[in-house]
Amino acid sequence: MTDAKTMAYINMYAVLGTLENLCELDFKAKEILSSLTKPVSLAFEVKDGPAATLFFSSKGCRMEDGVNNPDIKIPVSSCEKFNNIIDGKATPVPTKGIAKIGFLLKTFTALTDRLTELMRPSEEALRDRDFFVLSTRLTFYTIAVAISQIANQDAIGKASASYMVDGDISIGIKNCDTATIRVKDHRLVTIKKAPEKPRAIMSFADYDLAAALFGGKVNALEELCRGTVEIHGMASMIDNMNRLLDRVGLYLA
Amino acid sequence: MSKYPEYNHDKGREFFDRALKVIPAGIYGHLGPSEGLWIPIQKWPYYSVKAQGSYFWDADGNKYIDYMCAYGPNVLGYNDPDVDAAAKAQLEKGNCTTAPSTIMVECAENLVNTVASADWAFFCKNGSDTTTLAVMSARAHTHKRKIIFLKGYYHGDFQWAQKVDYPGILPEDVCHNLVAPWFDIDALQKLYDENDGDIAGLIAQPYDHGNFKDNEIASREYWQSVRKWCDDHGVVLIFDDVRTGFRLDLAGSDHYYGIKADLICFCKALANGYNMSALCGGEHMKATVSGMTYTGSYWMSAVPFAACIACINKMKALDTPTLFRKLGTQVTEGFKAAAANNGFNLVVSGEPALFYLRIADDDSLMLHQEWIAECVSRGLFLASHHNHFINASLTEDDIKLSVDIAEDAFNVLRKNHPELR
Repeated sequence: MTDAKTMAYINMYAVLGTLENLCELDFKAKEILSSLTKPVSLAFEVKDGPAATLFFSSKGCRMEDGVNNPDIKIPVSSCEKFNNIIDGKATPVPTKGIAKIGFLLKTFTALTDRLTELMRPSEEALRDRDFFVLSTRLTFYTIAVAISQIANQDAIGKASASYMVDGDISIGIKNCDTATIRVKDHRLVTIKKAPEKPRAIMSFADYDLAAALFGGKVNALEELCRGTVEIHGMASMIDNMNRLLDRVGLYLA
Repeated sequence: MSKYPEYNHDKGREFFDRALKVIPAGIYGHLGPSEGLWIPIQKWPYYSVKAQGSYFWDADGNKYIDYMCAYGPNVLGYNDPDVDAAAKAQLEKGNCTTAPSTIMVECAENLVNTVASADWAFFCKNGSDTTTLAVMSARAHTHKRKIIFLKGYYHGDFQWAQKVDYPGILPEDVCHNLVAPWFDIDALQKLYDENDGDIAGLIAQPYDHGNFKDNEIASREYWQSVRKWCDDHGVVLIFDDVRTGFRLDLAGSDHYYGIKADLICFCKALANGYNMSALCGGEHMKATVSGMTYTGSYWMSAVPFAACIACINKMKALDTPTLFRKLGTQVTEGFKAAAANNGFNLVVSGEPALFYLRIADDDSLMLHQEWIAECVSRGLFLASHHNHFINASLTEDDIKLSVDIAEDAFNVLRKNHPELR
C-alpha cells in the first residue's frame, strides 16, 4: 500500500530534488543550463503536501524547502494532482511568472526529460558504462532522499522511524557517492554528503551491486551475508533504514 | 604482536559460498551473518564441524570457546554424556511414533515437579511455538483481543510477534499488539483504559534484555505489581522464559521474582540441544489449553523428552543457576579488568548467567564491534549485540583462557586506535 501524500513528498524532494545532482554530474544537463542568461527560480506548492523552490542558473541547480519568492510559482490543488504532473499525466499551470513560461516549457522540460531518461533507462542505454554509472549515481541520491520522506510521511515508514535512535547514518557506494541520513526524534532528513561522525554505516561494494539493489534484483540482507554490503556501528539504525529502503521500492517501482 | 594469532577461515568460506547457491542468505536467522551481526563477516567461522563441552571447532580446524551456547540450548556443555546417554537409550526404543511414548508423561511430571507455577506441560519444538500457543490461549481464555508487549520485546518470529514494517507482515497481523514501556504500571493501566479493557494478555521476558542496549534487571517488587495488576484486570500474564529459563531459577524465572505467571514458555535450556519446547501453566489455564487446535509432526517425539528429563535432573544436581551466577560474574569481572588495563570502559549488564557487553567509549558501537571481531577471530566466541550464555561445563581454566584472549583483543584494539590515547 502506498499513499498519495508520501508519493508527493518523494516526487518533490527525491525526484525533483535529484535535478541538483543531474545538473552537477551530467554534461547534457550542463549544456541545457548553459543557455540560461540569468538565474530562474521555480516553486511548486502542493495543497496539504510539500512545497519547495528550485533555483536554476547556468552553473547548476539547488532546491530549498518552501516557497521562497520564486520567479515562477505553480500551485497544485492536491498531492494526487502533483503526482500526476510528475508522471506526465497532467500539465502544471503557473500563477506567477507567465513571462518566464519559456523556461518552463523549454529548459525545465529538457532537464526533467533528461532526468527521466537516466532514472528510467532502457536496457540498451544501460550497456553504455558511463550512462549506467550516472544513472546509478542519480538513483542513489533519489533513494537516499526518498528514505527520509517515507520515514516522515508513510504510516509504516513512521513505525520504522519510531525505532531509530538519534544520529547520522552514512549510506553510500564505496569510494564514491555517500549521503547522510540524519535521525532526530524519529524524524529523518537526508543530506547529500558524507557525515563527519556517523553512528552507523551502510556501504555498497560498487555501482553494479548498488544498481542491482536499487532495481530490486538482489536483497540487502543477502548481500550482507555475501559481503558486498557492509555495515558498521549502531546496527538497529541500519536495520530500520533497510526496512525503509524496502518501501522505497514500493513507491518508486 | 598478538599473543593469539588470527584464525584463517578459507574452508569455512568455501562452504559458505556453496551455501549461498542453495540456501537463502547462506546461513539465515540468528546464527548467520545478518541477524548475528558478523561485522566484518571475514572474522567469523561460518560453520562448525564438531563441538565438545564449552568449545566448538570450525571447518578450518580452529577452536572456539563459546559464550553463545548455540544461543542458549547448550546449558550443560556440548555432548553432555548423561543427556546423550538418555537420548540414545530412548532412540533405541523409539522416537517419532503414532502412539506417543510414555516418556512424554514422565517428562511432563518432571517439569510440573520442577517449575513452581506449572500444573501441566504442553510440548512443542521451538520457542515461537510456545509463545504463539500462550497468546492464543490468553485470547481463548479471556475472549479478548489485545496483547500487551514490553518495549524492545522479542517473542519469536511468527507473524504476530513481528513488527508492522517487517517484510511479509501485514498491518492486520499485528494490529492487536500494544507496547508499554518497562517498569511502568501506569502505562499498563493507560493502555487498558484506551482499549476499553479489551486486553487478553501481557507477554514479557523476565527482564529487559533487548539488543543494542544495556540490559535492565527487574525487581521482585516490579513483577509483584504486574502480577497484581493482571489479577485486578483479568489479564493473562505470560512469562517468556525461552531465553532465561533454567538459567536464573530452576523453578522458573517467575519464581525467581516471587510470582506465579499464568503461562510460562520454555525452550532453549530444556534439553541441552535436543529439540523441544514446552508451555507450562497453572491449573486454571489447563481447560483452555486442552481446547486449543494446535499440534505438530514432531512435537511428541520421545528422544528429546528423555534428554529433557536427564538435563533437568542434572541441572538440579549441579544447581546450575548458582553455578552460572558465579561463573558469569567471574568471566565478566575478568573482561572488565582486561578492558580497563587497555584504557577501555567495558559495561557489563544483565544477569551474570546471561551477561550483555558494551564498550562505552563510543556511542556508535563500532569500537565494540571491532573488539568482538578481534575476540572471535582469536577463538573467543562472543556476540556483538546479544546477551551471552554460560554453560555448566565451563571451567576455571576456560575462564582464564577467555580473559586472556579478551585482553589480547583489547590490546589489538588499543594499537589500532592510537587516537584514543
